[in-house]
Amino acid sequence: MINTAKINRNVEAALADRQLQRNLCSTLGKSVRMRDDSVAEVPNWEELSRYARDVKLHTLSRLDHYLAMLEEKITAQGGKVIWAETGQEAVQFIVDLARQRKIGKLVKSKSMLSEEIHLNSMLGRAQIESIETDLGEYIVQLAGETPSHLLAPALHKSQKEIADLFVRNLGMTPSGDVHEITSTARRVLREHFLSAPIGVTGVNFGVAETGTIVLVENEGNARLSVSVPQIHIALMGIEKVIPRTRDLAVFLKVLIRSATGQKMTSYISCLNGPRRPEELTGPDEFYLVLVDNGRSKILADRFLRQTLSCIRCGACQNICPVYQRIGGHAYESTYQGPIGAILTPQLTSLAAAPEHAFASSLCGACQEVCPVQIEIPHILLKLREQAQREKKTKASQLSLERLVMGGWALVMCSPRLYVVFSRWTRRLWRWVGDIRGLGRFLTPLTHWYKHREIPELAARSFRELYRSREE
Amino acid sequence: MGSRSAMLDRIRRACAGNGTTELPSQMPDFPHYADPVAQFRKEFEAVGGVFLDGRGSGELLEGLKTVVRASDSIEVYWESQALLRRYDIPFNRAPSHHKAGNLLLYSCHPEQKIDFPLLLESRSHGKAELARSSLSISPARCGIAETGTIVHEVTPGTGRLFSLLPPTRLVLLSERDLIMNSAEFFPDLLVDSQGSVVTLITGPSRTADIEKTLVVGVHGPKKMFVILTS
Repeated sequence: MINTAKINRNVEAALADRQLQRNLCSTLGKSVRMRDDSVAEVPNWEELSRYARDVKLHTLSRLDHYLAMLEEKITAQGGKVIWAETGQEAVQFIVDLARQRKIGKLVKSKSMLSEEIHLNSMLGRAQIESIETDLGEYIVQLAGETPSHLLAPALHKSQKEIADLFVRNLGMTPSGDVHEITSTARRVLREHFLSAPIGVTGVNFGVAETGTIVLVENEGNARLSVSVPQIHIALMGIEKVIPRTRDLAVFLKVLIRSATGQKMTSYISCLNGPRRPEELTGPDEFYLVLVDNGRSKILADRFLRQTLSCIRCGACQNICPVYQRIGGHAYESTYQGPIGAILTPQLTSLAAAPEHAFASSLCGACQEVCPVQIEIPHILLKLREQAQREKKTKASQLSLERLVMGGWALVMCSPRLYVVFSRWTRRLWRWVGDIRGLGRFLTPLTHWYKHREIPELAARSFRELYRSREE
Repeated sequence: MGSRSAMLDRIRRACAGNGTTELPSQMPDFPHYADPVAQFRKEFEAVGGVFLDGRGSGELLEGLKTVVRASDSIEVYWESQALLRRYDIPFNRAPSHHKAGNLLLYSCHPEQKIDFPLLLESRSHGKAELARSSLSISPARCGIAETGTIVHEVTPGTGRLFSLLPPTRLVLLSERDLIMNSAEFFPDLLVDSQGSVVTLITGPSRTADIEKTLVVGVHGPKKMFVILTS
C-alpha cells in the first residue's frame, strides 16, 4: 500500500537534502550527456527505435504464443519453466527449492522483478540469506535501503557515504578510494559466489525462437551467478519475451546506448539452459520463473499495453525534471521516475498508487528519449483521467473543486462574462491578495505559496492594452 | 502446476480481440567498415582492452610472451589442445600428462618467461583450480568490429568458469572470423550453437555504480588481451 501523505513528505525531505541534490545533480547530468552523445552517433536511430517498438508491440499482441514457444525450447534444452501468477508464487518456488535441497544461501544479480516481489525480505523471513552481488545493489543492501534507480541503485549515495559504509560493515581500510571499495567488494563477494549453491538473476530478453535467456551487464556478477552455483534460477516478467535472435541486435543497440551511453556492455550472456553433459562447469539445473504479478491486466488495454514494452534502460529517469529533483526513493515504489509513474499504478491499482500519475510535469522528455517509444505523457493523462473518474464516482457530493470548475466553465463560455470576471478578479486580488498579503491564506493557494510567489498582476489586461493600441 | 494453464488463458484473453502489429521483416542497417581490423582495434582499445597484432610470421608467439609478462602469471591455462593445434602453437605433453578425465590444461612459466614448444601439463578441471588461476586463453568464435566485441562460446570439454574466474584473459581471434556488426552475428550463431552459453565480451569487467566513476575489474577479469591471427 502506498501512502500519499508519506510521498509528499518524501518530496519535501528530498528537496531539502543538500547531499542528495548534489549526488543527483552530478550523476544524472553525466548520464544524460553520455546517452545523448552515444545516440547522436547512430544515423538511423529512429529506424532502430521504431523496429524495437514494433517488435515489442507485436510480441505483446501474441504473448501467449511466444511464451509457450519459449517454454518449449527451454524444456527441450533441459531447463524447467515455472509459471507464477503472483510474486508470492515466485518467491514460494525459490523458498521450497532451497528448503528441499537444504540450502541456506544464494547469490543474486540485479533484477528489478526481484525488488518488485520483495524477494530478499521474503527469503530473509524463510531464513535464507540472499546476497546482492551487483556493486550498487550490494551497497544498497549493506545500507539496509532499496534501489533508487533502475541501473544505478546506489545513485543517491556519495563516494564518501559508501566508503564509510564499507569501513563500518566490512572493516575496509578507511582510504575512501573507489578502487579500494571495488576491490573489497570483489574479494568479499567472490567468497560468496564460490560457496552459494543457488544463483538468482533477472532476464533482459527471453528469445522464443531458441529458448535463450539474455543478460546484459558490465560487472560480471551475472556471469558468475549463472556459472558458479549448481542451480540457476532466472526471474522473468512475462513481457520480456522477444520472438527472434536477430531482434537482439537491435534491442541491444538501443538498450545499451540509452542506458549507459556505451556501444556495448562488457558482457552479454546468452544462456541456453543448464550445462550440457559434456561441459565441465556450469549449473546442473536451470529454472525460468515466468511472473505475471499484474502484467496481464495491463495487457488487456490496447492503449496502455505499450507500458509493457519497457526494456528498463533508465533513460526516462535520467532526463526527468521531477526525478532529477526528488530522486527515486520519494516515489515509495520499486519502479520510479516516469516509467514508475505509469507502471506502478497499473501493476497495483490507481487506488494503491494515487500520486504516481500526477508526479510529472508532462514535459514529454521521457517519451523523446524512450528507445521503444512508449507514449509516457499520454499514458499519464489517461491514468489521470481514470483516477479522476474513480474519484468522481466515489464522491458525488458538492465539492469546492466541482463548484469552482463549474463556475470557471460558465465564465470561459461567454466572452462578455470573461471580461467582467477578469476585471473584477484583478481588482479584488489587488485589494485582498496583493496589498494586504492575504492571498497566501486562501486555502487552495497556500500550497502554491509554500514554494513560490504568485507573480504580480499586470495593471491592464490584454484587451485593454490592445484597445489602447488601436486608438 | 495449475498456474500454467490459468496464466496462459488469462494472457490469451488479454491479447484477444486487439489487432496485431506486424513483426518487422526489414532489418535496419548496421554499419560496415572498409577496414574492420582498425575499427575492431579502436573500439576494443577504447574499452580498455589490449590489442596485439599477431598476423605476421612469429608475431603470435611474441604476442603470447608479451601477455604472459604483462599478466604477471607463472601458469597459463589453455582451453583445449585443439586451440594450440589450430593456431600452430608448438607444444609437448609432459610425461605426467593424464590422458583421460576432465582436465585443465596448463603450462608453467616461472619468471614469466615462455619458451616454445610449451610443456603442457594437466590437472583436474574444477572450481577451486580455476579460482586460483591467473591467466586463461581461449579462441574467439568471432569478433564484432562495430563494437570491439569478442564472441566466446562454451564448447564440449570446457565450461563456464574457464573464461570467467582468472583475472586476466587472452582471446585468440582469426582475422577471417571478424565480422562487421552484431546484426551479422545474431541470426545464425545462437541457432547453430551447440553449447549452453554464448557470451559477448567487450573489454574487462567494469562498474560505474559509485558516482558514475569508472572502475575496471569488479567481478570478472581485470585485464583483457586479444591477439589477432591470420
